[in-house]
Amino acid sequence: MMEYDYLIKFLALGDSGVGKTSFLYQYTDGMFNSRFISTVGIDFREKRLIYQSKGKNHRVHLQLWDTAGQERFRSLTTAFYRDAMGFLLLFDLTNEQSFLEIRNWIEQLRLHAYCEAPDVVLCGNKADLEDRRVITEWRARELAEKHGLPYLETSAATGQNVTRAVETLLERVMIRMETAVDRAMLPGRRGRPRDVNDLDLNASSSNNCSC
Amino acid sequence: MALNPQYEAIGKGFVQQYYALFDDPTQRPNLVNMYNVELSFMTFEGVQLQGSVKIMEKLNSLSFQKINRIITAIDSQPMFDGGVLINVLGRLQADEDPPHAFSQIFVLKPLGNSFFVQHDIFRLGIHDTA
Repeated sequence: MMEYDYLIKFLALGDSGVGKTSFLYQYTDGMFNSRFISTVGIDFREKRLIYQSKGKNHRVHLQLWDTAGQERFRSLTTAFYRDAMGFLLLFDLTNEQSFLEIRNWIEQLRLHAYCEAPDVVLCGNKADLEDRRVITEWRARELAEKHGLPYLETSAATGQNVTRAVETLLERVMIRMETAVDRAMLPGRRGRPRDVNDLDLNASSSNNCSC
Repeated sequence: MALNPQYEAIGKGFVQQYYALFDDPTQRPNLVNMYNVELSFMTFEGVQLQGSVKIMEKLNSLSFQKINRIITAIDSQPMFDGGVLINVLGRLQADEDPPHAFSQIFVLKPLGNSFFVQHDIFRLGIHDTA
């Protein structure tokens, strides 16, 4: 079993059909798949990455969860939101209603997430369908600013800003974790404790210099 | 009552009829005729309901319109009271949502020359536990 320093769980939210599943698939596998994504027995996606902070490498195990339309059959419970440490909130740039629903999703987050102002990145997805766009960039930015959220225009089809959106969210979550006064308030940090003698992790960048 | 030798045909026929009604939003209210006003139980994604009124309230509250469904397998057994136990395995797509696997179990209870659904257990095949 691989070790990690942080287990981070993100949840992708937004109306049905905005592209949550495709977005996560594009991020973890670098592919666009508009058809049925065959399951390997587990319905969230995972990715390992290294987060650098203050010259140190942190091994992050990222779990990306997706409602995948299950909200049509059962209401999303508090438990569903509670464990997530960050949220990717998606709407479809070609669908007015999905944009209008963002306010409701933010309200749901305020009610159900682990705190009232969790880290959220707002994504206007399907940016590749420019000729079908109905939500202008300034309109989306205005909403994002009103709620204090970073905004990115993304495309699960081309990959535009997909990685950037996840990394923006990760950075915010990691900063929150590092600056939290009361660490007991935070979910997570359930990974194995860091070994201060682990040379791999604490290796300074000077090791890369061959001169 | 004896075992019904027609259990396979009854199972397949019922499943076809049930989903033809369920998957068409204009037909869905007619599912009320499948359930008994008191003697029917449903467990829908973990929500337990009894009686046709509560069951229909649940089914009518579902927010999707049409369902595309592919049945993978229908397994039936005769029951000693003349009823039929049915297990359905399949995939469904609600409107334009991502497709999901599902499983559904029915117990058909004989009533006169026909049957009603005494038990109905539905689950999506979503494996979202770490």
